[in-house]
Amino acid sequence: MTAQLATRPARAAAPAAVRRRRWSPEKLLHFGVFAAPGLLVYGCFVLLPILVSVGYSLTNYNPFNPDTEFVGLRNYKLLFTDEEFLTSLRVTTVLTVILVVAPNVAGLLIALLLDKKGPFYNAWRAVFFIPVVLSSVVVSVVWTRLLADDGAINQVLGWAGIGSVGWLSEPGIALYSLAWIMAWQMLGFCVVVYLAGLQSVPQELYEAASIDGAGALARFRNVTWPLVAPALTINTVVMLITAFKAYDHIQVITNGGPGTGTTATVAFVVLQTGFTANRQGYASAMALVMLVIIATASALALKLLRRREVEL
Amino acid sequence: MRQALRPLTTLVVGAVFAVPLYVVLANTFKHGPDIAPSPMSPPWPPTLDNLTAVMSRPDRLFWASLANSLIVTSLSVVVLTVLSAMLGHYLARTHSRWARVATLVLLSGLMIPPQVILLPIVRVLQLFDLMTTLQGLILFNVGYYVPFGVFVFAGFVRTIPRELEEAAAIDGAGPVRVFWRVVFPLLRPATASAVIFFGVWIWNDFLNPLIILGPGQGTTVTTGIYRAVGQFQVDFGTMFGLMFLASLPPLVFFLLLQRHFVKGLTGGAAKG
Repeated sequence: MTAQLATRPARAAAPAAVRRRRWSPEKLLHFGVFAAPGLLVYGCFVLLPILVSVGYSLTNYNPFNPDTEFVGLRNYKLLFTDEEFLTSLRVTTVLTVILVVAPNVAGLLIALLLDKKGPFYNAWRAVFFIPVVLSSVVVSVVWTRLLADDGAINQVLGWAGIGSVGWLSEPGIALYSLAWIMAWQMLGFCVVVYLAGLQSVPQELYEAASIDGAGALARFRNVTWPLVAPALTINTVVMLITAFKAYDHIQVITNGGPGTGTTATVAFVVLQTGFTANRQGYASAMALVMLVIIATASALALKLLRRREVEL
Repeated sequence: MRQALRPLTTLVVGAVFAVPLYVVLANTFKHGPDIAPSPMSPPWPPTLDNLTAVMSRPDRLFWASLANSLIVTSLSVVVLTVLSAMLGHYLARTHSRWARVATLVLLSGLMIPPQVILLPIVRVLQLFDLMTTLQGLILFNVGYYVPFGVFVFAGFVRTIPRELEEAAAIDGAGPVRVFWRVVFPLLRPATASAVIFFGVWIWNDFLNPLIILGPGQGTTVTTGIYRAVGQFQVDFGTMFGLMFLASLPPLVFFLLLQRHFVKGLTGGAAKG
């Protein structure tokens, strides 16, 4: 979701001595005014729907079919042999690997390039960040025009004597074009997070390393790289979640095609199954499996990456 | 020579990166019929025809979408900021086991994909008679984004000393007064980043309004563009004009508050 996500929750030191009467009227009023409204809305519009989802996933619920039956875990079992679902898992995995690696690597390189003071570099930082604040629909429509069979990029390729490429119409290529578009939009996010990481590295460390005779490459490996580890953690987790949730670009650009499901991610198939095919029981099971995968993947990534962070 | 390497590389990499941004800008001010044959050419002579065409569409698509987006975004952001500041403060200052559980349950909401909630939300909103209404979308936004707000505010509250609040309480001010007069003004950096993120996310939201406002019931700017693209496959001028106008608010917002954006984004990156 955002950078903030990865910060460690500050451990609340619980002073046991403060424990007084459990629920005095003042305390109840305090809770009612400060905590209850937020918790209530969260409960009604997030927790309750998830519980409803769990319930649906155990039935064959379809809003246009009056006979809803309890089917136990059948929906979950079906998932393992459902060609459409398995394909969407593969598509999501490819997209995730590209989106975790490409903007991370390119983002660090560009951050190193822009890590200088002055209005020139400040202006370019702003330019790189602009796509992050644009709507994914706008970004999708622009890139659809650029990558269309008769679009600007194929025009340029035509002048260069290379034939045109079916960036979005060729089943084997469309997924990579889609990854490229999403990476382009999120690149500025990674750049800004890395820049902040770079600026937190104390200058003295570089000087000390230089005095010890470290070259540019050695300074990067031994000083910069370990100290931008928190930035790497944030970018990796954010890109992981972004890739898993990928939906908007797919609906606007390819609608899951070309061909059958070549760009249909799990997030996309869940909504297709639920709202277009109206198989809401089955779609709920799919959505909950997706939730478990996201939670596990981001927890694992956090754990692995935290380990290599160093304290200054 | 070595001196010029960095600015030169920056210029080349930046220019390549910015091509799509240039395309939007150039084609917004270009004559409609010239867009398809030469999408990359500069808009010379520039024209405002595309923008006026968008703004004077007989179906008022642009103005209706703009009004919906403004209402939904501003109300959601205000309610979210107030509720999550108070809840974040409460959870950060309450040291009981249940408060820790509540914090954990809220924070796990940070990674819930909307797809998991959107299927049943239709039923839940129908239950409250809020489906296909702006109020329904606003309430959904509040529920969906409140974890992020709590995360930002609770984290920030822990950095301000408790003594300030205790002193005010001893002077006889009640908790609500203490919060709004003493605590909330101190939370300004957290409020800035919360407002920025909420604002940009909710303005740009596509899937949630598409499903909650439903097909017939009015559009936000993002769902408006999506619907319009299907209609004006041929009229690229209007398409670019609409995209330009829809992007203007978040863009201006970002350029004005650039420093706060970076700070909010990197609160976690620079350890401290």
